[in-house]
Amino acid sequence: MRRRLLPVLGLLVLIGLWWLATIVFSIERFLVPSPADVVASFLELPGYLLRQSLVTLVETVEGFALSIVVGVPLAMLIVRSPLLERMFYPILLAVNAVPKIAIAPILVVWFGFGQGPKVVLVVLVCVFPVVISTASGMKSTPHELVELFRSWDASRRQEFFKLRFVHALPQIFVGLKVAISLAVIGAVIAEFVGADAGLGFVIVQSGASADTSLAFAAMTLLAIMSIALFYALAHLERKLLSWADVDRADRRFRPASRGRGRDRPPGPGR
Amino acid sequence: MIVLDGVTQVFDGRAGPVRALAGIDLAVGENEFVAVIGRSGCGKSTLLRLVAGLLPPTRGRISVGGEPVTGPRRDVSFMFQRPALLPWRSVLSNVMLPIEIFGLERKSYRDRAHELLELVGLRGFENRLPHELSGGMQQRVSLCRSLIQAPAVMLMDEPFSALDALTRTELSGELQRIQLEQPRTVVFVTHSVEEAVVLADRVAVLTPRPGRLRKTVAVAVDRPRVPGQPDVDQAGRELRDLLTAPVDEGEA
Repeated sequence: MRRRLLPVLGLLVLIGLWWLATIVFSIERFLVPSPADVVASFLELPGYLLRQSLVTLVETVEGFALSIVVGVPLAMLIVRSPLLERMFYPILLAVNAVPKIAIAPILVVWFGFGQGPKVVLVVLVCVFPVVISTASGMKSTPHELVELFRSWDASRRQEFFKLRFVHALPQIFVGLKVAISLAVIGAVIAEFVGADAGLGFVIVQSGASADTSLAFAAMTLLAIMSIALFYALAHLERKLLSWADVDRADRRFRPASRGRGRDRPPGPGR
Repeated sequence: MIVLDGVTQVFDGRAGPVRALAGIDLAVGENEFVAVIGRSGCGKSTLLRLVAGLLPPTRGRISVGGEPVTGPRRDVSFMFQRPALLPWRSVLSNVMLPIEIFGLERKSYRDRAHELLELVGLRGFENRLPHELSGGMQQRVSLCRSLIQAPAVMLMDEPFSALDALTRTELSGELQRIQLEQPRTVVFVTHSVEEAVVLADRVAVLTPRPGRLRKTVAVAVDRPRVPGQPDVDQAGRELRDLLTAPVDEGEA
């Protein structure tokens, strides 16, 4: 219980310091608004802000889901065929090396101002970590297990779905957790470049009219959304992969176990 | 049941070809238990993989049940040094895995799976995940997974060597019991003399680099055998002498 309360306490301390700073240094509201200003801004337009949040959320989740739909089969192809890997892997790397924000204006030209270019940009940002983690996960299947399947004369399909894919899931989730954080960034960047809705649009608009506290309110909503998405994924991972080492390794590194260690009676040497 | 005729295996090593096995002639009769013993790196595991059809031999012929080996067969099971269980599957569903892969009807094998688990003392553990089990229990699950194939031939690659000494003796006792109840043709690779003399009808001794068959020795002791029993120990001493004696040129 204490473990869960401590980060909340830390957050409250930081917000308190921020608030104090705005009062002590009497910072202008349009430069740095106080927490109360931010909350007030939200309460002025709660319906509007939540609607814009939903727009960004849908873009993020759609793009993220699509990047799984595209990325996982792509990774499977790469693992299955060394030829395809040699042909397309460098191109994948090159595509990833292009700053995505440079593509955003072109996407607007191609797909207009609607949600299309946002979803596409999210896919572009997310697909790389998904492909890399899936491919490396499927390549790291223990040789023994592969040989076991061979000894049963299992088809390649069976080897893939009953063995390699499931075995890769913990690694795939590592990539997904990276991707989900990038997805929110991708959606906001796309909204910056050209949009008529979404939290990124709200931030650009409020920046132009020096309504900093509204921008802060939008940023806070973005942060909450991003954190919620990440934890939803982590929760799914824990549910789905209770068999995997990740969970056990996590437990080992939790502060609680260190606390138990300290409670142990000191040995004769100490 | 198994016939190896002039089997030679050459691998492409980094410093040129490496001969793993040279001119192996060996015949294993039906329901005979043959242990293959030798130092590490004498090609024991390669021999087993050749019989399993996981590797094609460079030269020579191998047949199982009168048919030449061209690839893996369903009536030949392979058991590894480590349990090689799928960590996300329960004990029961690990045992059922070969049935699933073979595309057989699962329902008709479920009772058999329970029976096998009971046979190795794992009743009540059906729904556990492998990581909740000890190493010995995991290897028992692996044994059940081999047995559910109803194999005519069981190939075992040092199956107990990763276990502690006590568990190891226990498991080889269990294997002996299972073998007495329902004999099968077994080729059992090991580097333990004790294991070989307790389990095997015959012991094939391999010499390393390249692996050659030095001699096959019959173990003429009545079953059940217990390690420490005088005649079992005597057989073990003879086998150990043979293993440690220098290779006589004329012998090979």
